[in-house]
Amino acid sequence: MSSIITVKNITKEFRVNKGRSGFLGSVTNLFSRDYRTVQAVNDISFEINRGEFVGYVGENGAGKSTTIKILTGILLPTSGMAEVNGIIPYKNRVENSKRIGVVFGQRSQLWWDLPVRESFDLLKSIYHIPQDLFRHNMDLFIDILKVDDFFDVPVRKLSLGQRMRCDLAASLLHDPDILFLDEPTIGLDVIAKDKIRKFLKEINRDRNTTIILTTHDMDDIEALCKRIIILDQGKIVFDNPLSTLKKEYGGERVLEVEFNEFYESLDKVPEINVFKEEENKKWIKFSREKYTAASIISKITENYEIKDISIHEPNVEDIVKTIYGNLY
Amino acid sequence: MEIYIKFISKSFQKQITYKIEYFVGFINGFLYIFVFTSLWNALYAEYDANAFKSGFTKSSIITYAVFVMIIKISFSMDDQITTRKVRTGDLVTDLIKPVSYFCITLSECIGQTIFHFLARGLPILALSLFIFDISFPINVTNYLLLIVSATFGYLILFMINYIIGLMAFWFFDTFSFQLMKYGMYAVFSGGVVPVDFFPASLQSIVDFLPFKYILYIPTCIFLGRFDEDEVITALIGQICWVALLFAISKITWIRAMRKLVIQGG
Repeated sequence: MSSIITVKNITKEFRVNKGRSGFLGSVTNLFSRDYRTVQAVNDISFEINRGEFVGYVGENGAGKSTTIKILTGILLPTSGMAEVNGIIPYKNRVENSKRIGVVFGQRSQLWWDLPVRESFDLLKSIYHIPQDLFRHNMDLFIDILKVDDFFDVPVRKLSLGQRMRCDLAASLLHDPDILFLDEPTIGLDVIAKDKIRKFLKEINRDRNTTIILTTHDMDDIEALCKRIIILDQGKIVFDNPLSTLKKEYGGERVLEVEFNEFYESLDKVPEINVFKEEENKKWIKFSREKYTAASIISKITENYEIKDISIHEPNVEDIVKTIYGNLY
Repeated sequence: MEIYIKFISKSFQKQITYKIEYFVGFINGFLYIFVFTSLWNALYAEYDANAFKSGFTKSSIITYAVFVMIIKISFSMDDQITTRKVRTGDLVTDLIKPVSYFCITLSECIGQTIFHFLARGLPILALSLFIFDISFPINVTNYLLLIVSATFGYLILFMINYIIGLMAFWFFDTFSFQLMKYGMYAVFSGGVVPVDFFPASLQSIVDFLPFKYILYIPTCIFLGRFDEDEVITALIGQICWVALLFAISKITWIRAMRKLVIQGG
């Protein structure tokens, strides 16, 4: 398989005005300025193959959007090299933009004052989309995303969910090879999120579109991505299939046990680890490789009086939290 | 090319939706003409035309006042487009598309100008014909020269706005630049008083600025105030300014792209 995106040792630095505080400070600022260099991304490298669905995860300010903006040709990296579809995006923005689709969750690429229909019409001309392909894609989007419900409404009057559906359709109208999604489900309700996930899954499967998704919503990642790249303070701290993430970091299961009475500690069962308590309830961690759930439960019931018990598999959100937890 | 024509037509359509703005603009434009023609009438009634040494008779100055204002009204455009997009970060949505930012902004402005010409410029001109004593040029050449010269003038105005807009990459607020432009454009363009009336020292400054090429030159060429040599010099002057401003626009854009930090990175 050949990689469609290559990122090699990319670093992007921003100069931030440090600014002094107070009245005297602001006067001094007029004459001399102190700059502080911030590394938004720091020496990151990865490759993405055609047809992959990659989750790009990190806390606010970890450098997710910066990477996306470099790959879409909007930002120039301070050092390093990136290639998208054989094109260096920041050297040839226009050429690159013909083969990619981009959705920024926080802003619309549609024309605010124009009805949805006219925005699509403009995009058809911008990307020189042939009539039959345009018709075919529109039918698909009408079918799945139901964008025809508000075809004649100006974009500014759409709800967030409606707008996002339109933006997604707009980004895929020209059959791009790669789709960049920067927090596409931000602020959406559960039903709208679900619709969008289904749609993305289909696009990835049927058209073999490579999709890179940044999000804070780990449910998005769990539902969609096969591979996850985790970014922390501008560095890649994890880049593996989602299954590896679960196996390596999700090695611990959680038991939620409610006891009949309050116990100071559970030291008669040394295999377990209590990490949270609430009245008579305790949350217990144990290694899934060393012990079976049955053996742990029977050991607890032998020594203590229990009222209720339930078992949780770790979800991606917990795992990512653990990874961050290990870093600090 | 097709896409930019579409942008022009969409921008034109957008203007139609702002009905109240339109009526206010119409009344405003007509009021300006009324005030300035009244002023000139009063001045020329009080003083002998020779006292001004500008070569304008009462009839020709009224004609000038009407036409310069018709051009100015037609040249109305949104000069905040780029500043707004840089400040909100919405510029990215243009950058992810395979289009030239310069060209789509120009298209948007042209759409606005076509609207202002048809919906405000022409009706106000028609109204003025009834009220004021205006002498029309009858030569076809004048109209052709007007189209050429007004196009250059328009490009000069657009690029000044565009470059000031791009300043938003370096300065938090471009308002002070805009304010300076408004002042210079209002006075030095000949939009209020023809450049001929300026004292010699001021005229020599105005000669080195682009503003008189926006309104004064097209109006004078149209009204046949220049002889052949003057027309050629004026057009060359316009072409030089268009070329220079285009070069500055390009350089500023390239530097701005290097400077680019989109909000929410």
